[in-house]
Order: sequence, then structure tokens, then C-alpha cells
Amino acid sequence: MSRSNEAFWWSLFAAGGVLGALFIPVLVLLTGFWLPTADPVEAAEHYTHLVELLGRWPVKILLIAVIGLSCFMCAHRIRHTLMDLGLRGHARAISLACYGAAILGALASVLLVARI
Amino acid sequence: MAGEKRITLEIFRYNPEDGGEPFFQSYEVEYLNHWVVLDAINWIKDEIDGTIAHRWTCRMGVCGSCGMMVNGEPKLSCHSLLRDYAPGPVRVEPLQHFPVEKDLMIDKSGFMERLAEVKPYIIRDDVNDTGNGEYLQTPAQIAAYHEHSMCINCMLCYAGCPVMSLEPAFLGPAALALGQRYNLDSRDKGQAERVDAMSGDEGLWGCTFVGECSVVCPKHVDPAGAIQKGKIAAAKQWYANFIKPKGAKK
Repeated sequence: MSRSNEAFWWSLFAAGGVLGALFIPVLVLLTGFWLPTADPVEAAEHYTHLVELLGRWPVKILLIAVIGLSCFMCAHRIRHTLMDLGLRGHARAISLACYGAAILGALASVLLVARI
Repeated sequence: MAGEKRITLEIFRYNPEDGGEPFFQSYEVEYLNHWVVLDAINWIKDEIDGTIAHRWTCRMGVCGSCGMMVNGEPKLSCHSLLRDYAPGPVRVEPLQHFPVEKDLMIDKSGFMERLAEVKPYIIRDDVNDTGNGEYLQTPAQIAAYHEHSMCINCMLCYAGCPVMSLEPAFLGPAALALGQRYNLDSRDKGQAERVDAMSGDEGLWGCTFVGECSVVCPKHVDPAGAIQKGKIAAAKQWYANFIKPKGAKK
């Protein structure tokens, strides 16, 4: 049996899973519920604070890691789900599509977050 | 028989030697409150139909030989109370994902070969003779592998694992958990000898973490957890090999 490069993709999946579980519920709560339902004047202040916070590079790097690695987490899980659904004959195409999309997603996160 | 209630068992029948097709045969059983599925099958075999083939030994969840599909779920038939399946019928089949030898008996040979692949024994160069005393372990060192050492080789995890039906070469939950059990044992130094079998596409990386192996395990071995620990160790090793200079790689 050959030693598998699956270790690399799995480590991105695992890292994305851990970071996603830690940060995404907080981010969804903040940007999806808390800010939209806050008093408009207060919300504007909070928004300014958030934008200031995202101007700092350590925060940017963390956000890029959370979004980028979450893309790999999704790609890996979707790839294995498709294989489990019986599409093992198309393993190569599925891997290319899933991880290709994750790489594009991670690059997009770098470009978008860097511009904030 | 001093039965109190009645239930019907639909038992999978198949004899490859007579060339016939598999079919289900129904038997009505009067059962006592404490009867398990295995009691009913044994009673049917003793009293109604002696041609049924099934495996069992201890009747107390230790030997791991009476695993069957009970109403579609992998179960030890000695741990499955009939009253939990009332009013029935109870469909009893051989463990799925294995070739059937006859009726409820499956062919275990593939499983036994898989166990051997992970070298499930302590490997080290400096074997002590007993005169030098035992290899001592702290409670924490024992706790690192103890739950994974409780396997009774009942194969329910193989019947529960969907990867087994998709990837026949997959090493499977029990074998991987057993290999990991020895990798986690502080007395063992044989990790390098197991890595080829365990870290291949048909080993740890074949697992898609459905987790059903740990759900159906009657001994709480948590094969899915063992496999995840193995993946972490294998990923660390992969990165270590990646950053090593080429000449230093094994």
C-alpha cells in the first residue's frame, strides 16, 4: 500500500473543522443577528469598530485562515460524501472540482479580506 | 415450553452447496421475558429445524461469535432481548459486508487476514526475559490505549461501516483500532512496521468518518476515535517526511 497524500488534504479539513467550530458560530451571531437587529445608531458604531478591527493584519490573517480552511473542510467532506454516494469511478474529477473550488475560495478570501 | 408471549423470527436461509437462492424462513416462537434473539434461534434449532447454521459460544457478550443483523442492525444476538422487538416479526440475517458460508454464518477469513496486516502485538528489539521484570506502565499510559483494547472481534463494526460495501480492500474499523491500540501502547516500538498497512488509501485514509462503527460496537472500543487519532499521527508523519531532506526519507 502506498503512503497516501490524503494526509495533506485531511489536515486542511481538520484545521478548517476546528477553526470553523470555534469561530463561525460567533461570526454568524455577530454579523447575522446581533448587528442587523441592533439599534441603527449603535450598529453603525459597532460596524466602525469591526472595520477598524479588520484593518489589523493579525485579525486579517485569522479571518483568512477561518474562511480559507473552512473551504477545504467543506471540499473534503463533499468529496467523501460524493464517493460514499457511489461516484468512486469519478474520483479524480471529484477531487479536482472540490479542491479546485476550495483553492479558489481561499484565494478569494485572501483578496477580499486584504482589501478591507 | 413455558413461553408467555409469541413472536415470529424471519431467518435468512442460504446453502451455497445446494445451489439454491437465499430466502427467509419464518418460525413462530413462544418466549420468556428474559429471552434474547440467540435463545430463540437455539430453541428453533433444537425443537423445530436442526438445519439452521449459526455461530455462538458464550451467551454473555464476551466471545463475539453471535453477531447478526437483527432487523437490519448489526447486533450481538445474545444481547438483543426479544421483548424489545415485540410484537415482531424479527428479521435475522448474517452480518452484511461478508460472504455467507451458510444461513447466518459468515466467512471470517478476510477479517482474520486484515487483523494480521496491522501486526497486532507488541514489537520491540529489546525483549526482556521474565527475570528482568515486567514492563511497567503508569495509569495514564494504560488509559491511552485501554478502551481500544476491549475488542472481542465480533465484526459488528464491519457490518455497520458503509465504506466496507464500497471499498472491499478497506482494512476496516476493528483492524485499524487494533493497530492504533498497539501504536498507543508505551511498551510498543513497532509503529514504523505498521505504517504501510495503516497509512495507505485502504487504511486510515479509507475511513470517511461516518462513525457507525463506534455506534454499533458492543464493547465501546470507539474504533472511529482510534482511527481519528491514527489520522492525526499519520498526518504529523506525512509533514515530517515532507520537510525532511530527500536522502533522510525512509
